[in-house]
Amino acid sequence: MSVRQLSIFIENRAGRISEITGVLQRYGVSIRGLSLADTADFGIARVVVDEPERAREALERAGFLVRTSDVLCIELADRPGELDHIFKTVASVGIDVQYVYSLVSTYVAIKVEDVEAAESLLAEQSVHLVNQEELSDLSI
Amino acid sequence: MTSSTYPQPIFNPAVECASREKITETQLGLLKEQVRLAYDKVPWYQARFKQIGLEPGDIKTLADVRLLPVTDKSVMRETYPFGLFAAPLDQIVRLHSSSGTTGKPVVVGYTKADIEEWRYCIMSMVQMAGVIPSDRAQMAFGYGMFTGGFGLHYGLEGLGCMMIPAGSGNTERHLMMIEDYGTTVLIATPSYALHICEVGEKLGYDWASSTLRVGLFGGEPCPPKMKQEIEQRMHIICTDNYGLTEVMGPGVSGECLFSRDHQHIAESHFIWEVVDPQTMEPVTEGGIGELVLTPLKKQGVPILRYRTRDLTRVTIDPCACGRTTARMEKIRHRSDDMLIIRGTNVFPSQFEDVLSHIEGASAHYRIIVDNEGGMDRLTLMLEVEPAVFSDSFTQMDSFRALVAEKLRSTLQLGVVVKLIEPHSLERSMGKTRHVEDLRS
Repeated sequence: MSVRQLSIFIENRAGRISEITGVLQRYGVSIRGLSLADTADFGIARVVVDEPERAREALERAGFLVRTSDVLCIELADRPGELDHIFKTVASVGIDVQYVYSLVSTYVAIKVEDVEAAESLLAEQSVHLVNQEELSDLSI
Repeated sequence: MTSSTYPQPIFNPAVECASREKITETQLGLLKEQVRLAYDKVPWYQARFKQIGLEPGDIKTLADVRLLPVTDKSVMRETYPFGLFAAPLDQIVRLHSSSGTTGKPVVVGYTKADIEEWRYCIMSMVQMAGVIPSDRAQMAFGYGMFTGGFGLHYGLEGLGCMMIPAGSGNTERHLMMIEDYGTTVLIATPSYALHICEVGEKLGYDWASSTLRVGLFGGEPCPPKMKQEIEQRMHIICTDNYGLTEVMGPGVSGECLFSRDHQHIAESHFIWEVVDPQTMEPVTEGGIGELVLTPLKKQGVPILRYRTRDLTRVTIDPCACGRTTARMEKIRHRSDDMLIIRGTNVFPSQFEDVLSHIEGASAHYRIIVDNEGGMDRLTLMLEVEPAVFSDSFTQMDSFRALVAEKLRSTLQLGVVVKLIEPHSLERSMGKTRHVEDLRS
């Protein structure tokens, strides 16, 4: 049920992020979510896309260092308390949330230590987990 | 890499496996002739001899080499271009010069006999590295004034190899030639070899099934880690060789396949000394010091006691390959390269050493020296290897901190470590510049 996320190492210099988006654009890859975090020297761009394998190949060919990992993609109802419910559920069994970011629509991507455990736990709570196909086929 | 082609016969066993007494005796005879030639034909040397009250006849034992005046780069510049030539210019059949990165270039001339001796040194050296006459050797050094190109070219050709004089640059053409001509030996700087390897990998070249089997590396020191990396990725055996334009060019020493971190010195052609660079006194046997070389068969430019500025140690213990010639350790430091940071001596090669012991640390880095608020600052820009890259900042930072800590404990100095993208440092075709000193 998880989706594939690409993490890309980027140096902090002007225009570098546009080179990533440029590669994805040229390969017709559609970005569903993007987060960019940085330290003083370097950053990690994290993206969720419609075609993760194709995106990875394209980025690697362009010389980027790419790592893939699984994240949970969750569809939220647009009302107060939704995220709170999710995080409380995960925290109740001691699963650590490493980071979270918003995707298109009312989707969020959350990275947890134990993807499978969090996944079944949330499914029990009737949380709508979005899979790769749904995410790829998404039209907004 | 086919083990059946090793070991190769020794090129000249009578010379390369001679007893220490025989080596010494031969060297002394040749030294006396060289000293006489320098004295008679080179006014600069004659003036120096007179200044220090020395006569060519005073050289009676090999140890007397220490009485001779030393020659360094400044002498070669002072006498530029032809002041140290012993042979009349019409006897000189070729000139080479070393890169003039600092000041005037150094120029040397070769007589026909010098060219022959040089060719001999290369033939014996490449055979030591496992090269055989049926090899096809592709030159990735530039030709031109640099000794590496022509020096190795004629030696390899002399051995009977098919020489492919591709020259430097145009990596894709190199790859095409390796494939189309069935190249088995690549002559390159190690950093350029790695570049060829990487470009090949990107283009989908399968190094495991390539005909290439031996790398002859020179022009810059090859860090052990880089050598290992190239060997694994290109499926070849990489051998180092060493030489300097001032005393001949490549062929001074080379690696045999039994003693991978040492290089056999061509003692038939050179006397070596290892001295304390400050006092010029010999170091204790096996100690580290500056290598000083006296060529023994030069007719064009008979240099005496050339200060290489390269720090190494030399052993005369016999080698498992059967050769008895002295072996020098890979050059670790250059006395010129020493950086003084906040009063502490730092050698760029110490970075090399530290990085080679950290798993996942790249062989591609640059050291930047600058100052901030009047204090010297050392920064290491280190490319991130795929094995080290993680989605977690915590892990990335602990890798960065590990590198910084290991450097601090080795250098006794704080170093700022910056992680940079792979391939962001330029791959050189000549000598890799690892250090940038921006201090004003």
